[in-house]
Amino acid sequence: MTQRTNVVLLAALITASAGAQDVSVYGTTMAQMWKQDVPGFDKASYAPATQFLGIDATKLGSEALSLHLFGWGRADLGDATSMGKKSDGNLTYGYLHYRFAEANAEIKAGRFGINQGAGMEQVDGISARTDLKHGFVVSFFAGKPVLYKSQDPLSQKDYEFQHDVIFGGRVGWRLSKMGEIGISYLQDGSTAAKDLPIPSAVDYSRRQVGADIRFVPVAAIDFMGRTLWDVANHPEPISGSAPSRIAEHDYTMSVKIAPLFLMTGNFTERNFHAYFAGTNMPSLFRQEERGKHRGYGGKVLLGSTSSLLVTADFRSTNRDSFGETNRFGGDIRWTGMDSKFQAGFGAHRVIAQNVLQIDGRVPSYSLSHREIRAWVMYETGRYSASLDGIHQSFDDQHNPNLNEKKSQSEFVASLGARLTPSVKVSGDLTYGDNPFFKKDVRALLRAEYRFSMARKGGK
Amino acid sequence: MNRRIALLSFAITLGLGVLTACGMVSTEKSFAAVHPQELGTGRPSCSVCHEDELKGSGKTYAAFNHSSTFVKDHKVQAGQDANVCATCHSQSFCADCHAGKTVMKPSTKLGGRPDRVTPHPGNYLTMHRIEGKIDPSSCFKCHGRANNDKCTSCHR
Repeated sequence: MTQRTNVVLLAALITASAGAQDVSVYGTTMAQMWKQDVPGFDKASYAPATQFLGIDATKLGSEALSLHLFGWGRADLGDATSMGKKSDGNLTYGYLHYRFAEANAEIKAGRFGINQGAGMEQVDGISARTDLKHGFVVSFFAGKPVLYKSQDPLSQKDYEFQHDVIFGGRVGWRLSKMGEIGISYLQDGSTAAKDLPIPSAVDYSRRQVGADIRFVPVAAIDFMGRTLWDVANHPEPISGSAPSRIAEHDYTMSVKIAPLFLMTGNFTERNFHAYFAGTNMPSLFRQEERGKHRGYGGKVLLGSTSSLLVTADFRSTNRDSFGETNRFGGDIRWTGMDSKFQAGFGAHRVIAQNVLQIDGRVPSYSLSHREIRAWVMYETGRYSASLDGIHQSFDDQHNPNLNEKKSQSEFVASLGARLTPSVKVSGDLTYGDNPFFKKDVRALLRAEYRFSMARKGGK
Repeated sequence: MNRRIALLSFAITLGLGVLTACGMVSTEKSFAAVHPQELGTGRPSCSVCHEDELKGSGKTYAAFNHSSTFVKDHKVQAGQDANVCATCHSQSFCADCHAGKTVMKPSTKLGGRPDRVTPHPGNYLTMHRIEGKIDPSSCFKCHGRANNDKCTSCHR
């Protein structure tokens, strides 16, 4: 979709909101400022001004029809915060939504997000869903994928051509007080790279089949997860065996032993060749890597819904080409004074001693580290204040990424005041000490506002 | 040609599917568009007020309690029950973290809200060099296909 078409569509959608009976306009205006002093680079001063803006207009001539818009724009008043660009913006979503009174049926048209396959997708198109009789659920979407041309155009000359269309769907089946199972399909691009008139070395297209399950036979047991398969037509491997077609297994089981005592276990496996299919950054998410990542772990939660929550967690992971990592630790979270005061503390240890690193400078180094985080937050109807600190210390300061630093910290202090029920202003001051910058101090001013004739029960 | 065949096949399947599905559409009432009462601050526990099944979802209300596990990993719930999420959360709430292209880290945007479990607190520029080596697939979900303008500063 061209820039001009985007502007015309946006103008038409905003104009349509004028006919709505209930309109909410909400936004956040931010002014940030920080200086950057990186050894070996020019000093820089940044002062970006950012505007987030959203509109929810409901009852557009009919109770069931609504319009939803959200996006942001940024202008740099100092040095450019992005490479070569002093302004930027994005329409995150903008769609008309028709919601039926029965069957949880709905239709969306415009730009919207889709949570399907191995990631979130933004689509310019149409989607629909409905419940069917006997517990079945069906949904589909189709349109043009929103493209992110983050790489230089010359190295990705096929990217736009391959991403010509995106569509998919899901069929699910629900059984009362038992849960739901579903199968889904996602296709991004009509022609695989190898089938192009001039075959491309990198495949930006993607075809995935997914199966998902949520099994909750009683309140104490919750089993959920999904498996994704890569079903794209890939070239035959030149040598060796073909990589696994299973992109992902991700399953979690929770057992509530007592009202405030929950245990959770998780297993994940991702095969990179299949999982990274369709990436627009093949240099980083390397499809030619035939390895996999496998992890399992568990959590114990005490007091999961009361004012005091204690969590202990453990996770062991293994990446074929780099080795094993174990992480463990705990968190405490407390809510008191009628939810006006909240505090949290967490400590974690990550042991990745045997991680092999292919690097010309240092052949092998440890990625092991410790992390401590603490925060407090106080919020009355009128004023708010918070302090948030995080500290990481690294076992091996000879890790070339750390510039010989043994640790890093960051602290954020925030103060806010609600001037009216609809307007809140706040300011954050961030101080950081890290391997990248000699000194990292940042200031942020924020104004949040919401003008609404509509009502939303939640948050 | 391939593209035309794929689109035609999809359109025919869709058409037949719609015709068949129309006769099978459920006659149950849709979930409430908005939660009828304002909710307090903090993570809600649906089962405190609702004991029974959320009719039509196949799950009890307890399945939607916002435990720590739920807050950190809700992809299956969001995929199966997005319309239940929409009862309390507007789309912009999801977009705080899940947007195709963002201008700043969620932890910066929500700097005064440390209670929100936002990804990448602190100086993640350093940490991504460690976490990315341990598990690049954890980055892929958000940065593999979108939201990676800044990655190209170094990763070309």
